[in-house]
Amino acid sequence: MKKLMALFMVMILALSIAGCKNETITDQGKSEGGSTTKDNAVSKSSDKLTVAIWDTNQQAGLQEIMNDWSAQSGVKAEIQVLSWDEYWTLLEAGASGGSMPDVFWMHSNNSQKYIKNNLLLDLTDQILASDKIDMNHYYEDISELYAMDQKQYAMPKDIDTIALWYNKTMFDEAGVPYPDSTWTWDTLYETAKKLTKDDGSQYGYAINTGNNQDSYYNAIYAYSGKVISEDKKTSGYDDPKTIEAMEVFEKILNEGLSPNLQIMAENGADVLLKSGKVAMITQGSWMVPGFRDNEYTSENCDIAVLPKAPDGTRVSIYNGLGWAAAANGKNTDAAWSLIEYLSTKEAQLKQAELGVTMSAYKGTSEEWKNGVPYFNLQAYLDMLDATLIIRPYSLSTSIWEDMVNKELRAAWSGEATMKDTLIKIAESMNKTLAEE
Amino acid sequence: MMLRINNNKQRNAQFLWGWLFILPTMIGLIILNIIPIFRTIFQSFFKTGDFGKGNIFIGLQNYSKLFEDTEVWQSLWNTIKYVIVEVPVSIMIALIIAVLLNQKIKGKSIFRTIFFLPMIAAPAAIAMVWRWLYNSQFGLLNNVFNLDVAWISDPSIAIYSIAVIGIWSVVGYNIVLFLAGLQEIPRDYYEAARIDGASGINQFFHITIPLLSPSIFFVSVTRMIAAFQVFDLIYMVMTDTNPAIEKTQSLVYLFYQYSFTYGNKGYGATIAVLLLVVIMMITGIQIYAQKKWVHYS
Amino acid sequence: MKSRDYFFKTIIYVVLLMSSFVMLIPFIWMILTAFKSITETTNIDPFVIWPSTWRLEAFKRVLENMNFVMLYLNTLLMIAGRILAAVLTATLAGYAFGRLHFKGRDIAFSLVLFQMMIPGQIFVIPQYIMVSNMGMLNTIFALIFPGLVTAFGTFLMRQSFMGLPKELEEAAYLDGCNIGQTFLFVMAPLTKSAMVALSIFTAVFAYKDLMWPMIVNLDKDKSTLASALAKMQGQYMSNFPELMAAALIACIPMVILYMIFQKNFIEGIATSGGKL
Repeated sequence: MKKLMALFMVMILALSIAGCKNETITDQGKSEGGSTTKDNAVSKSSDKLTVAIWDTNQQAGLQEIMNDWSAQSGVKAEIQVLSWDEYWTLLEAGASGGSMPDVFWMHSNNSQKYIKNNLLLDLTDQILASDKIDMNHYYEDISELYAMDQKQYAMPKDIDTIALWYNKTMFDEAGVPYPDSTWTWDTLYETAKKLTKDDGSQYGYAINTGNNQDSYYNAIYAYSGKVISEDKKTSGYDDPKTIEAMEVFEKILNEGLSPNLQIMAENGADVLLKSGKVAMITQGSWMVPGFRDNEYTSENCDIAVLPKAPDGTRVSIYNGLGWAAAANGKNTDAAWSLIEYLSTKEAQLKQAELGVTMSAYKGTSEEWKNGVPYFNLQAYLDMLDATLIIRPYSLSTSIWEDMVNKELRAAWSGEATMKDTLIKIAESMNKTLAEE
Repeated sequence: MMLRINNNKQRNAQFLWGWLFILPTMIGLIILNIIPIFRTIFQSFFKTGDFGKGNIFIGLQNYSKLFEDTEVWQSLWNTIKYVIVEVPVSIMIALIIAVLLNQKIKGKSIFRTIFFLPMIAAPAAIAMVWRWLYNSQFGLLNNVFNLDVAWISDPSIAIYSIAVIGIWSVVGYNIVLFLAGLQEIPRDYYEAARIDGASGINQFFHITIPLLSPSIFFVSVTRMIAAFQVFDLIYMVMTDTNPAIEKTQSLVYLFYQYSFTYGNKGYGATIAVLLLVVIMMITGIQIYAQKKWVHYS
Repeated sequence: MKSRDYFFKTIIYVVLLMSSFVMLIPFIWMILTAFKSITETTNIDPFVIWPSTWRLEAFKRVLENMNFVMLYLNTLLMIAGRILAAVLTATLAGYAFGRLHFKGRDIAFSLVLFQMMIPGQIFVIPQYIMVSNMGMLNTIFALIFPGLVTAFGTFLMRQSFMGLPKELEEAAYLDGCNIGQTFLFVMAPLTKSAMVALSIFTAVFAYKDLMWPMIVNLDKDKSTLASALAKMQGQYMSNFPELMAAALIACIPMVILYMIFQKNFIEGIATSGGKL
């Protein structure tokens, strides 16, 4: 035992010393960067950029693109994946006095907070000076997520849309035609009726109660209702149009065409589709890899555009991540150069081609649909031509979204009417918005 | 006795050696933990800005909000329910198993290793297996025993279902400590008892329990403190659309929501202070009550 | 008499076997999942218990993609460093808190308890900033850092020292030992099983800690097993067979270490015999 301990101790000492030698060079640079001295002795060409993301499924594809950039610039870029919670803890720790990664993803839930506190590198001048970038090529609302006071703090990385997944086998069995572009949300309700079996072995439609973006938000805006007003001061949940749209879902749940709230909370819509429990779900383009790798869904399921409102409006809520750099990074020139490259048509095309995600650069996503031959991914691209509404947000999105999720359970379970619930939600949300 | 003979000199020596011995721990704790703790307590008097900048002093406003916040008190109640189930049950089970593992039986080291395993199981596996066991429609429990119980989405029982996962995951912890404690009980005691004709159960209550009481005390204090901070299990198993979330979320869960999800560090800190006060009271009672039942030789 | 013993033995085995099985369920689940297809892992109706065929792909892929040698090494160094620091500091402090009487002791000890009463999440950001300012990100030292001292361990060792008989200490004083010598030669060796328990816990807690290593050592080469496993979980979907295969491979050194350590529990019996 004692010998073992002694051995450990020697190993520790040896390794921590060896560790120190390697680290002093690179880390001094970092801490200096932290104290805003930008120029340092570290030679830039030999340097490497640390890139942080939170989705392991995108790592391989993005690294390939970054390697192209490294080949041009001579600077290495290494992607590090964290899980979602740790990712934001890291950024927050970095923002509160530690060091941040050089280049990282930004999400609309948090972007305003980071911009307001001057933590993101202001890219405005570089964008103007760049001959590779023209902001008109990107979906405007995504750029907007990462801008404040006419300044741009992150470049749009990708875009996601929502579409309708359906189980062909179940449709065939019931002798019902597949969903198409003529469908309204009422058609979805009517069809769900035909596809629901009384014994609870099969449901027509499952609403993803945990994720608003891929379910009811789309209907709300199609019915020309809203979640939050343009000026982000008032809630739109008490808008009669919003209520009308939400009552479609109320009907679906009350009539047992969807698994009940309990089953939904325990399982999630995608799992229910994968297990052959539901005939239809609405899901975002980010879920494609999960359905692609699943034998059941790849054999039995396909995709169609979302239904439209009675007046013919078809809406997809969309969102997109941004590439941002640390304002106090040690090598902001290289960081910008990487972000610039990632935003070029070439890199954005490759991102779609490799099947990483659809790209934020307009017209580069065509290739993405060939990624999975057995799904009609064109539906997601068609949704880009529908009315695109950016995922509603304000400074306190996460607070009121949580509240809405909780309050809505009363309506989903039938304890309260949808209308009453929504009016209550609107009141509470207005209070939160007033405090912003 | 000797301690009293050489009073002054001894006292000085004890003072010097005492501080020398605790110095590394104290310095480390103060830098690593105590300063952040006081900063947190301090924060509870502020409306906090993002990233620790732009805090506005608001006095006791967070506290007056706390007293009216039914969600907080419900969470405290949930936490207490969890503690009341998890701590005693896990201690009793662990005590029995540790004593059994201390008998002359075959395969002892294999059994010991098995009980150790849950402590190193990957969280993803733990979450997956329990969700499968508890799933109301498709889960193992309901299907095997032909029940219709919504283990984790029925508000009146979900917290107990989570406590069961808690028991399962800490039993190994308690067993390790009890096994360590059992080694310190001299064998001769049992031999003497056996000659006197005491039964196994008699030995358990008259030798094992009293002599193991320092370990039991340690386990109950540390488990109580840790159980009051239950977070991971709830975070892993529950979603915020679960109908039972209000009746299962713990104080630390709420603290986490406010501090990290909602970015309201000040109110999060206030919740942490409430937790601190509750734990301090209960630990205080335990330390006071130990004189009644814990035997130090 | 003989038959009664036999009866009790049987009961003991039945209880142990049944409870072992319950304890093992997640491991059985992990093993089964590692051999399943992705489709089988996401099906809930019916839940798939047995893989339709025993696939080895997940293990192959994981072994190809992850540098387990590096991960083992980093994890072991972190664990060794934390055990060393914890046993050292906690044994010293535990002795002082448990057996010495001096001014300021109770206040100091209440600070120790204090640390355990606050949710650990509040320490992550301040400690990250400290390591970052020291310029020690992406080092083994960063992994060890939060475990340099341990309130839990101090409390554990204090309890263990408090359980030792007074006579030993007094005899040592009479022999002319000062407090330091008494501690080192007489008292500390008697708390060996508590030190082993402390080492086991330190190892387990360090092994399971995923947030700290993940944020403090972004560098893949300085990652630990737990954080590398956590990274495998995608934002929306996870490859469960690979995740479980990796988790199983990651467990192996911990199990071996535990088996080595638990021998010391058994040795503990021998030492305590001559204690009184």
